[in-house]
Amino acid sequence: MTTHSTRSTELKVREPVVFRSPAAGTGGRRRGGSLATRRTRAGYGMSAPALLFLGATMLFPLVYNLWTSVHQVEIGDLVTGDWAFNGADNYDAVVSEGAFWHAARISLLFTAGSLVFQFTIGFALALLFVRRFPLAGLFRGLMLVAWLLPPIVSGTLFRWMLDADSGAYNELLRTIGLDALAHNWLTDPSTALPGVIAANVWVGVPFNMLLLLVGLQSIDPALYEAAAIDGAGPWQRLRHLTLPLMRPVAAAVLLLGLVYTFKVFDLVFVLTGGGPVDSTTVLPLYVYQSAFRLFQLGRGAAAGTLLLLVPLLVAVAYVRRLRKEGAAA
Amino acid sequence: MANRANRPPTAAGRGPLPRRSFLRISGSGLLAAGLAGPLTACGGGGGGSSDKNLLWWDYLVEDARQPGIKALITGIEKSVPGLKITRRTFPYAELEPALIKGAASGDLPDLAIVDNTSMNSLAPQGLLTDLTDRVKEWGQADAYYKGPWSSGVIDGKTYSVPNNANCLALYYNTELLEKAGVEPPKTWDELSAAARKLTRGSTFGLAMSAVKTEEGVFQLLPFLWSAGGDLDTFATGGATALTFLGELVKAGALSKQCVGWTQQDVNTQFTSGRAAMQINGPWQLPGLKQQSKVKWGVVPLPVDKEPASCLGGENWVILGTSGKADQAWRAIEYSQRKKPLAAYLGSVGLLPARSDMAESGDWATDPTLKVFVQEFGNARPRAYGEHYPQMSQAMAEALQATLTGSSSPGAAAKKAADAITPKLSK
Repeated sequence: MTTHSTRSTELKVREPVVFRSPAAGTGGRRRGGSLATRRTRAGYGMSAPALLFLGATMLFPLVYNLWTSVHQVEIGDLVTGDWAFNGADNYDAVVSEGAFWHAARISLLFTAGSLVFQFTIGFALALLFVRRFPLAGLFRGLMLVAWLLPPIVSGTLFRWMLDADSGAYNELLRTIGLDALAHNWLTDPSTALPGVIAANVWVGVPFNMLLLLVGLQSIDPALYEAAAIDGAGPWQRLRHLTLPLMRPVAAAVLLLGLVYTFKVFDLVFVLTGGGPVDSTTVLPLYVYQSAFRLFQLGRGAAAGTLLLLVPLLVAVAYVRRLRKEGAAA
Repeated sequence: MANRANRPPTAAGRGPLPRRSFLRISGSGLLAAGLAGPLTACGGGGGGSSDKNLLWWDYLVEDARQPGIKALITGIEKSVPGLKITRRTFPYAELEPALIKGAASGDLPDLAIVDNTSMNSLAPQGLLTDLTDRVKEWGQADAYYKGPWSSGVIDGKTYSVPNNANCLALYYNTELLEKAGVEPPKTWDELSAAARKLTRGSTFGLAMSAVKTEEGVFQLLPFLWSAGGDLDTFATGGATALTFLGELVKAGALSKQCVGWTQQDVNTQFTSGRAAMQINGPWQLPGLKQQSKVKWGVVPLPVDKEPASCLGGENWVILGTSGKADQAWRAIEYSQRKKPLAAYLGSVGLLPARSDMAESGDWATDPTLKVFVQEFGNARPRAYGEHYPQMSQAMAEALQATLTGSSSPGAAAKKAADAITPKLSK
């Protein structure tokens, strides 16, 4: 084995931990066949409970959803249990509906808007909290409250705060003389989405902050000392040291954020219910509407599958890249 | 093992989680999170019940209603020897989805009290027991108001018995109207003029709900019907109704905020003096009578071409899967006897759907209750068939598009009509 450095910089960082199973290891030192078989068997045995759990709680609903999505299922069909297979009809119906693409567009805007602000603010806060200062721990803990609140609570909170007549937010605008800006963000189609994004950013910042903070803390302080000795100022240290070293963590945080944000339902449901008109109907809300408001369960399932595709593809691409990086290291 | 030997000691101790393993963990977490997405598969515990045990679902969850319902259940259990009732309650919006999910999992009650619009989606799907023969034998159908009764009749077959009815009327703030020298409006023109005149400072002339659910549609439909329109003529009738409401918003007499208001929010506006008039139902009466901040009166909804109100209320249904339809029917039949019904409706603050009860008790003497009971004659059910949820959504969006100014009334009505018409002909 050789020591190596990260590719992005020529700076030496702490050796990453890579666990390798003996069979898949580079050494190719195979142990006795029977022992290996026994070990494999024991491994399967020990992972069986977890696999069963995953199968029952993840795989089954997924397959059931796929199954539903290729059948004609409305309420009556549920009663009779008589589901007619209709191939890709549900998918056809969904993708030929303008409302689906509208929801997809809203979802993208919502996700992109949320991620940009969550990440930027989260990163700034992580940079703050990585320094030690009095009561840092307390404040960091308080930040997490936003993330720990049930979405129903934070949603209701924002609904009240953004209310035009008595909301705290508009009250504030009026006190500082910005009356022109005071209006109900959530009942105006042109500002409802920004309002919803603002609420979601507030919820998501602590999560970003926490993960980025862990990343920042794992950077060897010796590197900063070395850079400082070489005459790098704070900005240069951030630009040439922190940012490159944080790239993998940042990618993970952003991708986790994407997956979480893309499927946000409860917060939007509480805040606007998808309205006014359809200005905040994100994809999960569209799925809910077709399945449980309009009772087209087959179509709802098809839309649900399509909704799943985006985070799934992103996740697969990410994991593959990670594996490649792991192999290169 | 070479890997480990090469690793620098973690004595630095400051990094709690090595980066690479952090990435590993987050990577697998990512996959899991992706898979665990918004799957909507549903399940439910089996609700096995013995012969004498009737499962009953409803959404009448308000505290004040519990004693009345408990008394009714006790009465039923006494009148049918050996019968036991197990009741389960849901939030309003959850009952219909629960019934539909129950249809998939086989977890359904024997009888339920459902919103009368749910008849649109439940009955045509074969979820409900056909009660036509039992009702004929019973012979009391004529005692009910036509609107409520017909909400349970689909394709000539009777699937439900109305439990209670409600409809909309116009509440007004007596003091504000007197101060402005305005009479309670009887026509659309008067309503429009009054609403404008009553709008002062932070007080709006009129408040109504235009939220993007059935509640908003419930409030829109009387305007559509009063203009002489209906769902099959929404492009024209809808345009008239939407234009009228849109003008009120433009004039500032109806707050734009109403697109986010439920009917409960509307009542809050009214009782806090921020609205001089409100469109609301009789379920607000108990609360309004308890408060003393606002003096109020109530009149029928103002009329354009013909008087109209939208019929709400709850209906009794027996699920098709119930093996105990006879017992369930006896429970319904008991609940509709005048004496227990009067006692129970009175105690829970609901209005009877039986016209032969309108002449008795509080319903005959209380002038505010009387307004609603008399309005039942003009109230229409929303019996538009199984695709009503789609039509309702189209109308809610048209209403919101008009009131937020994102679309002209004509264009919004046209768009909604395009969505409604094919569903009606089906």
